[in-house]
Amino acid sequence: MTPSILFGKITKFALNIVGMTGTALPGKVAMMINPDLLLILNSRCKRKVIITGTNGKTTTNNLINHILNSEYEDILSNLMGANMPQGVASAFLNNTKKVYDWGIFEVDEGSFPDVVKYIEPDYVVITNFFRDQLDRFGEIENTSNIVYEAIKPLNTTLILNADDPMVSNFKDLGKKNVYYGVEQTKFSSKTQRVVESRFCPICSNNLEYEYFNYGQLGRYKCNSCDFKNPDYNYRVSEIEYHDDSYHFKVDNSKGQTNDVIFRYDGIYNAYNCCAAIAFSIEAGLDMEQVVERIDNFDYKLGRMENFEFQDKIVKIVLVKNPIGLSEVIKSISNDKRKKSLLFILNDNPADGTDVSWIWDANVEAINDIDNLTSIHCSGTRANDIALRIKYSESSKNNMEINDNMEESIENVLREDVEIIYILPTYTAVFLTRDYIMGHLNHTNARIPRIKELIKSKIGT
Amino acid sequence: MELNIFHMYPDLLNLYGDIGNVTCLKKRCEWRGIKINIVDFSLGNEADINGADILFMGGGSDRGQNIVYSHFLKYKNDVSNAIEDGSVFLAICGGYQLLGESYIDANGMKIPGLGVFDYTTESEVERLIGNIIIKNKLGLNPQTIVGFENHGGRTYHDYNALGSVVVGNGNNGKDELEGMIYKNCIGTYLHGPLLPKNPHLADHIILTALKRKYDIKILDVINDDLEYAAHEKVLELYSNGKV
Repeated sequence: MTPSILFGKITKFALNIVGMTGTALPGKVAMMINPDLLLILNSRCKRKVIITGTNGKTTTNNLINHILNSEYEDILSNLMGANMPQGVASAFLNNTKKVYDWGIFEVDEGSFPDVVKYIEPDYVVITNFFRDQLDRFGEIENTSNIVYEAIKPLNTTLILNADDPMVSNFKDLGKKNVYYGVEQTKFSSKTQRVVESRFCPICSNNLEYEYFNYGQLGRYKCNSCDFKNPDYNYRVSEIEYHDDSYHFKVDNSKGQTNDVIFRYDGIYNAYNCCAAIAFSIEAGLDMEQVVERIDNFDYKLGRMENFEFQDKIVKIVLVKNPIGLSEVIKSISNDKRKKSLLFILNDNPADGTDVSWIWDANVEAINDIDNLTSIHCSGTRANDIALRIKYSESSKNNMEINDNMEESIENVLREDVEIIYILPTYTAVFLTRDYIMGHLNHTNARIPRIKELIKSKIGT
Repeated sequence: MELNIFHMYPDLLNLYGDIGNVTCLKKRCEWRGIKINIVDFSLGNEADINGADILFMGGGSDRGQNIVYSHFLKYKNDVSNAIEDGSVFLAICGGYQLLGESYIDANGMKIPGLGVFDYTTESEVERLIGNIIIKNKLGLNPQTIVGFENHGGRTYHDYNALGSVVVGNGNNGKDELEGMIYKNCIGTYLHGPLLPKNPHLADHIILTALKRKYDIKILDVINDDLEYAAHEKVLELYSNGKV
C-alpha cells in the first residue's frame, strides 16, 4: 500500500469515527501526499467511462453502474456524487482492488481537464451544458470550452446529447461520435423561458427551435449555416406517464425498438436513460438486458429518493441550477396528490455561494401545482428562496420560513398530506437524507453540527 | 398611472438572475396599482427609446456582450439623450461596462463601448467574486445595499459612486467605491439580483420615474418584512461585524 493510499484510508477511518461518510476528504488527503494517485487508479481499470456535463451526471452514473453490474463484478465508481478529482480518488480508497473491469466516473466540468490528465477514458458521455455555479465556472461558453479543449488530445469515443447544441457541437473534434436524443413528445413545448444557447455555436446567428424538451434541449437548426441536430443513434420517443412511471420507446440505428419503464419523475430522466442505454450498448451489452435493468433501477443517495414515512411519501430531489429547479417544479405540477414542499437553499461553497440563480428559474410555475398545502423554506438562505416565491406571485400564501433545517424537516413531516417534496441544494441533500433515515430507523435523528461545518469548509 | 420598462437585450444579457430586477420593479408597481408595460428591446425587436421611463440592462457572456455592442452603437445618441433628459437607467455589470468609453480585455484588446460616459473598464484574469455590501450615497435608508459580485473587469471613473464598499471589491477592488451615479442613471456590479433584497433602492427607482412623469412625491407603503429579512441575513452572514 502506497503512503497516499494509507493516509487516505486513515482519514476515511477517522471520519467514520465521527460519524461522517466523507465522500471527498479522504481523496483530498491522499492526493495531497501523492497527486499521481489517479494514475494508479487509471492503470487498474481495464476500461473507463467519464460522465460530464451540468445536469444528470449522478443519475446517469448510477444508471450505468446498475446496468453494468448485471455483467461485471469489479466496478470502480464515485457513486456518491463527489465529482471533483478528490472525489474520484476517494472512490478508489473506499475500494482498493488490483484490477477493475470498469471505472465509471462522473466528473464536473471544471475538474474535467484535471481528471483526464491522469485517467484515459475509453468513453466520454456529455449530458448537457446549463448555467451552473457561475461563481466557480464563469459563463456557459467557458464551461463547454474547458471540456472541449481537454477532450482534444484524448483517444476516446464520445456519447453526445444530440439535442443540446452546445454538446452536439463536439462532433467537430473528429472523435468517434455516438448521438442520443429525445423526439418531440406530448411533454415538449414550443417556448422555453430559460434558454442557454440561442446562438449557433458555429456562426453565432440565431438558432431556430421546432420544440423544446428540457432547457435548450430540443430540435434546433441554424438559419444561416447547416448546423442542426445530428441524426440519432439512440432515440427515445412516445413518452407516456402513468402508474407513477414514465413509459417510452427507445430505438437504435440498427432498427431495434424496445419498451422502457422508468419509475421516476422528470423528462430529463428520458435523456439520462437514453445516455445510459447508448453507452451500455456501445460497451457491448445487449438491448434486452439493458432495458430490464432500467426497469428495476432504484435511486440512491437523495437525488430523487423516495421514502415511506408513516402514511406519507417523502421525495428528496436535489436542485442546484435554474433549469433543474424549473423542471422539478414542472414535474411536481403533474402530481395531483395532496402535498407540501420544503425548499432548502444553502450557500456553502459546494452549493455555489451565489444564490442569484433562483431568479432565473421559472418559480412562477408553482402556481400550476394543485393541492399544495404549504411551502416551507429553509437553509442558510431561507429568506432568499421565500422572497423569490413571494415575487412569483404565488397564491399559495401558506409559507413557513425557518433557517433551522431540523425544525423545518420536522414541521413538513407533520403536514397532513399524501406526499412531501423536499428540494435541497447540494450540501443539504445528505443532511436531509440522514435526518429522515434517522427518523425511519428510530435512531437519534439530530444533524451533527460538525458534519455541516466540515462540509461547508471543504466543499464536496 | 403607468410606467414603461425597457428591458434591454433580455435574450443576450441575462446572467446571474438579473431578470429578477425587472420582476421586482414590476411586482412592486403592480402591488400599488401602477400599471407596468415591459418592452423587450433586442435585435429584431427595436423600439423608440424615448418611450422608456425606466431602462434596464443586465450582464452577459463575452459573446452576448459583443453582439450587443455592435447593435447598440446605433442607439448611442438616443441613450445619451434619454439619460440627459432624466430617464431612469439601471445598468448591471456588463451593461454598466458597456455605457463606458471602452473595455480592455485580458489580452489588451480595446473594445469600444457606447461612450455615453467616459470611463473605461480593464479586464484582469482574477475575477472579483463574492457577497458584497456597500453603503449607498443616494441618501437612502437603510444605508446598506447588499448583493453578489462576479466580474473580471475593473472600472475606473470620476463620477459619483453608488456607494462605498464595506465588504467585497466594487468597481476595481482598489478605491473602495462601487458603481456610478449620473442624473437618474445607476451603473453597478451588484447582482443578486440587486433590487429584491434592496427594496429601498427599488422604490427609489420607481419613485424617480414616477416623479419625472407624474410629479408624484411619495409611494404607497407596502409590506417589506421578507425583503428586509433577506437583506439582514446577508449582513448577518457576511458583514463580519462591519455594519
